[in-house]
Amino acid sequence: MPFSDFYGNSDVVNRLREMLARNHFPQAVILTGSQGSGKYTLALMLAKAMNCLEPIMTGGLPDFCGKCSNCVRIAQSEDLDACTAEAVEARENMRETDKKETRLFVQTHPDVLVIPPDPPQMMIKVDQVRRVIETIYYRPGDARERVYIFTDSAFMKEAANSLLKVLEEPPEFATIFLLAENAGELLPTIRSRSMVVGLKALPAEEVEHYLARERADWSPKQRSLVSRLSEGAVGRARTFDLAAYTAARQHALTILTSALRAADHSELFKVTETYRAGAEGREKIERLLRTLYSLLQDLLFINSGTPQSVHNTDIESELRRLAEAASFEWITSAADGLAEVERGMRRNLLRSLSLDAFAVGEALGN
Amino acid sequence: MPVEAIASAVGTTTMEITVSKFELLRELTATQGVVERKTTIPILSNYLFEAAGDKLSLTATDLDLSLRTSCAVKVKKEGSCTIPARKLHDYVKLLPDADITIKLLENHWVSIRCGRSNTKMVGMAKSNFPSLPTFPTAGVMKIPAQVLRSMIAKTGFAIASEESRYTLNGALMVLKPESITMVATDGHRLSHIERAGTKFDGVSGEMKTLVPKKAMDELKSLLDSTDAEEIEFAKDESTLYFRIGNRLLTSRQLTGQFPNFEAVLPKDNTKSIAVHGDELGQAISRVAQFADERSRAVKMRLEKGELKLSASSTEMGESEDTIEIDYQGELLAIGFNAQYLLDFLKATGGGEIKLEFKDSQSAGQMRPAEGEEYKYRYIVMPMRI
Repeated sequence: MPFSDFYGNSDVVNRLREMLARNHFPQAVILTGSQGSGKYTLALMLAKAMNCLEPIMTGGLPDFCGKCSNCVRIAQSEDLDACTAEAVEARENMRETDKKETRLFVQTHPDVLVIPPDPPQMMIKVDQVRRVIETIYYRPGDARERVYIFTDSAFMKEAANSLLKVLEEPPEFATIFLLAENAGELLPTIRSRSMVVGLKALPAEEVEHYLARERADWSPKQRSLVSRLSEGAVGRARTFDLAAYTAARQHALTILTSALRAADHSELFKVTETYRAGAEGREKIERLLRTLYSLLQDLLFINSGTPQSVHNTDIESELRRLAEAASFEWITSAADGLAEVERGMRRNLLRSLSLDAFAVGEALGN
Repeated sequence: MPVEAIASAVGTTTMEITVSKFELLRELTATQGVVERKTTIPILSNYLFEAAGDKLSLTATDLDLSLRTSCAVKVKKEGSCTIPARKLHDYVKLLPDADITIKLLENHWVSIRCGRSNTKMVGMAKSNFPSLPTFPTAGVMKIPAQVLRSMIAKTGFAIASEESRYTLNGALMVLKPESITMVATDGHRLSHIERAGTKFDGVSGEMKTLVPKKAMDELKSLLDSTDAEEIEFAKDESTLYFRIGNRLLTSRQLTGQFPNFEAVLPKDNTKSIAVHGDELGQAISRVAQFADERSRAVKMRLEKGELKLSASSTEMGESEDTIEIDYQGELLAIGFNAQYLLDFLKATGGGEIKLEFKDSQSAGQMRPAEGEEYKYRYIVMPMRI
């Protein structure tokens, strides 16, 4: 699986490979891009290219063989969800006292450490960063470069501060990757010590082209819809769960209808009630908020006379009806309201109440 | 047969051995320190067992450090397997003193039988176990175990544990053809020990090695439990190797330059006194009870004929102890962290010691009065009092 398997963003990938070729690869890289845009895949590919035992060149730039013992072992980390689940399970089986002090890591190669967010808070914790600091100054054993990949930008405050120390003077044989959906989520002091590299969203046509190759089992209609809904991220498109998305969108539509029509709220309350507190509900509300934003964006597209940009093409007529009632001012105010809900989530506000407040608030403002 | 040779001789999917509980438990206990307890990388909490010839080789690793050891067993079928380390150790401890039969079953299950006890544990695929560096064939040096044991005991405590000062997270070992030196510091105190007059086989020129703290700790316990007279030491670009009897400890090397410690060794500390280590230690322990809890500062006053130790804190009160000494120089008052002084006194184990000062702003030096074979010195930065 050489670099040519990385779909899209070839300019970014080539730039990084050029830096590798010239031995000028930065010691800390922030890879940004939306969920499923290939940040993790690219970071692992670069780790392989740095450490491949039989490095090859393709198109005049460094590549990796994918067959040597280093490539193979690094590749075992590819299925991050499975690896993380295995790590969580390993922790579950520990003694109570050890459980508390144990942090999650994925390490299939002794010199490549993957640091996933630690449940249940799903944040990177200070003990995880400490482990990085403790090990980073050891010389690589089987490889040439020690590689550390933080897969999430949600750091506990202490963890972020602790990370600053290593970023200040990392050993010359180590590379740290920080993966983030948005570089702004990281401390400015972390950003200033790293190089920010962004993976751009691909045009829907390119995603559709990719899906035609990867998901031949889907109907063309489904592929076309998914390519519009996946926000230009091929990884997200490939694993797109249309059913879950549709369910979240149904909720989002109910909330928006309530917010626009200020009618009977019983439907609204039935929906928001299902957004419970606790770590399990986090993913659900995140999906909902993402969908709400995407619907608002579609309303804006319709109202500004660019309906060809609409993502949710399958419910366009419904959106058109909603759009009639939504003025530009209302949409901007709703977007602000959503941002407020997002901020509230970070402060652990009650999810159902925050959503109610958003819908009712926008309805009153209307 | 060296332990590595066993490893390369096996590779099959069967294994059956019989081993005495005593032998197995001894090796399991010796390797427990290296087994990572709090890890979510499952293979690291496993032992690798490899049986060949008439030996069983046991390996544990946390990726930075690895320990390979072996014991005599009756091998029925050569082979290898991995077994959860902690559970195995806890279980074997509870077995009666008899022979244990370990057999690899299907799907990485391992059966452990002893008398009428019968247990099955599930291991992992052997291929998941990290590959380990092999002991180099050239450039092997021999160090007397007693020398290394004593040097680690006298410097290990001064290694920094602060994560930010990574070059201090180890001790520097300097080998020369006729001497060995070990230095450790945390930036506030420095422990330096040198042993000259022994010939080291295989050493040519000066060789500096930074030994990580984790490896020092592990070495210490390995040296304490061995009757080997000499250990073998070797290194390559990435790894340090210590062979102690039938056990092989490997550690990855730390990067970074150990600070130029020679520059801080005091040269003109002319005010010198001799006291008895135990007496000084007891006096410091007593007054330190009344030292400020954060700084642990005690004050030393050199006066004509006596050394006064004192400490005071606003909440607890104050305390003073006097020791009679032979001192006729000018008056000197200097402050130190009590713990730093006690660490040294504990490492020297009583006996006459010499304290040497320059003034109240300069580092103080402590050393045992009788040099014997070792040149041991301990430098402590003073505190403002």
